[in-house]
Amino acid sequence: MIKGYAGRILEVDLTQRTHRFVPLDEDVARLYIGGKGYGTRLLYDRTEAGVDPLGPGNVLIFATGPLNGSVAPQSNRFAVVCKSPLTGGIGNATCGGSFALGMKKAGIDLLVLTGSSDRPVRLDVDGDAGSVDFIDAGDLWGKGTYETQQILGKKKNHAVIGPAGENMVLYAGIVSNERIAGRTGVGAVMGSKRLKAISVTGKRKLEMEDPEAFRKYTKDVREMFKDHPVLGESMKRFGTGAIVNTTNGRNILPTRNFQRGSFDDAIKISGEYMEDHELKGVKTSCIHCPVTCGRDVEVEGVGRVKGPEYETLALLGSNLEIGNIKKVSEWNYLADDMGMDTISLGATLSFAMELQERGMYSAGLEFGDPAGVSEMIRDIAHRKGAGNDLADGTKRMAEKLGGSEFAMHVKGLELSAYDPRGSFAQGVEYATTNRGGCHVQGASMYMESTGPITINPQSLKLKAEIPIVQQNLACAINSMVLCIFTTYGMVPKAGHNLDPNSFLYKVITTVFENSGPMMRTMMSIKGRPMMWFEKWLTYITGENFSSGHLQEMGGRIFNLERMYNLREGVGPESDTLPHRILYEPTFKHMKSGHPLDQLLPRYYKNRGWDAGGVPTRRTLDKLQVSV
Amino acid sequence: MSVTVEFTYDMTKALGETRISLDGVGTVREVVAQVRDRFGAERGEEFERLTHTAAVAVNGVLVNHRRGMKTPLADGDKVSFVKSASGG
Ligand code: SF4
Repeated sequence: MIKGYAGRILEVDLTQRTHRFVPLDEDVARLYIGGKGYGTRLLYDRTEAGVDPLGPGNVLIFATGPLNGSVAPQSNRFAVVCKSPLTGGIGNATCGGSFALGMKKAGIDLLVLTGSSDRPVRLDVDGDAGSVDFIDAGDLWGKGTYETQQILGKKKNHAVIGPAGENMVLYAGIVSNERIAGRTGVGAVMGSKRLKAISVTGKRKLEMEDPEAFRKYTKDVREMFKDHPVLGESMKRFGTGAIVNTTNGRNILPTRNFQRGSFDDAIKISGEYMEDHELKGVKTSCIHCPVTCGRDVEVEGVGRVKGPEYETLALLGSNLEIGNIKKVSEWNYLADDMGMDTISLGATLSFAMELQERGMYSAGLEFGDPAGVSEMIRDIAHRKGAGNDLADGTKRMAEKLGGSEFAMHVKGLELSAYDPRGSFAQGVEYATTNRGGCHVQGASMYMESTGPITINPQSLKLKAEIPIVQQNLACAINSMVLCIFTTYGMVPKAGHNLDPNSFLYKVITTVFENSGPMMRTMMSIKGRPMMWFEKWLTYITGENFSSGHLQEMGGRIFNLERMYNLREGVGPESDTLPHRILYEPTFKHMKSGHPLDQLLPRYYKNRGWDAGGVPTRRTLDKLQVSV
Repeated sequence: MSVTVEFTYDMTKALGETRISLDGVGTVREVVAQVRDRFGAERGEEFERLTHTAAVAVNGVLVNHRRGMKTPLADGDKVSFVKSASGG
């Protein structure tokens, strides 16, 4: 067995209440790494086309990768893969917390759940004993994720759902500690199987090919992180909330259901403001991560809890026109406790507010007014009253009630908090990312709108190339499984100290902007490992990983996801952006919105797809994607 | 002619205002000069420190993608000092 893997997959049939361990397929691991990649391969192979995402035929896969279980910073995340009930296509999400470490200690690379229980159940997995207990979970059903984990205790590592998952809210997530696998409704799939919680335990240690080189190098990386302006300073001090003021200044902070790109009270929902007014002195982290991007806040009547990160600050703050960080913190806590994705939640609330404003629906919610939001979050989780409509997300609400031109989703997944009208590459990424309107499957905006060195976000140059490189890299990272924020360390300290108004900065960005296919060629060179994650993978597995290897593997995973979507009927017609983004300008100089029509054909061509957006046989063969 | 100027968080703390309105400014350079004046000679170093890595944007577009400090301004424009960040 390749080092870095436990070497076995645990398969659990919830209908029959049986389990078995099967060996990990080394060939698949070599092609797809682990995590999201391996999980997607299993999903493709193990499900019938057209399966009901909330029926017993869907599989729910928890997947770790070769970096999990090590002490590498940012490396304790797991991926969840299934067919998404929200989009009908590929569903996946990654999560920090402690469950990934627990799985690896239990000697389980992937956990594959099939079937569905006829009553609430929880699983207790002892990896050392090779046992799986099916325990009645009637007493936990209905409880929030925090209380559930408290009852289950600290001796084991847990992944749980809250009422939102139980009631199959289409954007329900799965929670481990205070972190959530939020996107695409993976929690609803767990709820459809009546599985409340999974607890894992074991004492296995991760075996590495070259533990000494790994140990020494990781020490150096920790020092590098400490000294890095983003990983060691900005994210540590302000969390991801520091972006609020950046996106606001660049007119891409979703405001009033994406009607505008800036918010007058942005400063009051920023990471800096949180540090000065709300932070309770404790910064929190996933296991072994020195970045500590989480922060605690005080919520009235609850105490100290995890504070909101950027997406939540924007989607539940500016997007609802609420410049009140106490309220956003309270709703963030509530959403976590109910177990739902704050991005889809925020976008759905703002959609309901706009429907109300236009007299098309009444959920009792208004822009700028926090009244009723807390109650609505609970109602969504329990599918009560109007909450039952909102529980289905913006796409289905628009189908039922109208307003599709301002329903802010792609493929059914609500857009995250970077308005693509001021970030063209991010727009192409949203339109083409297989799971829908999400930013962490590439994060192209970092190279054009939020990072330290950004090209012109509104020219057409490089906007069809950046998303491909970034999507491939993100696929690989989500398969190791590493935190996507690690990529923010790729611009060295010197890059952060450049004066963005200087001539030198202009020269660098102009050269970059004109690098065209050169960039992709450079990234695809299969040489020696250079980046820390490439070296970690190499030291752990003994296989050679470089940028070129990761681009190829990421491209393979991305194309397999694409083939999965095509098989499930999520076709190229869904590679689009919301009407509002395409046709309503938010910049003074713009006559219309995002120029997707000019960029998509270039993107398809660069991907090796035909003009209709379907991967060619040649591309699939080259990447060894068997379908 | 009047433009709105929005500050970074640190500048807001230093000046006690999130945004100001300036009249009679024709270019970004003139806006930057007026903001520097607000800091005054004795706080010149502080101004340099706070703005060194802050880009300037007009209506959300970085001036480095337009005509730099010479970028002309029109009535109602918004000039923002913007820091880069990451995460999300
Ligand atoms: S950077 Fe933040 S989200 Fe990522 S692993 Fe570290 S603490 Fe977790």
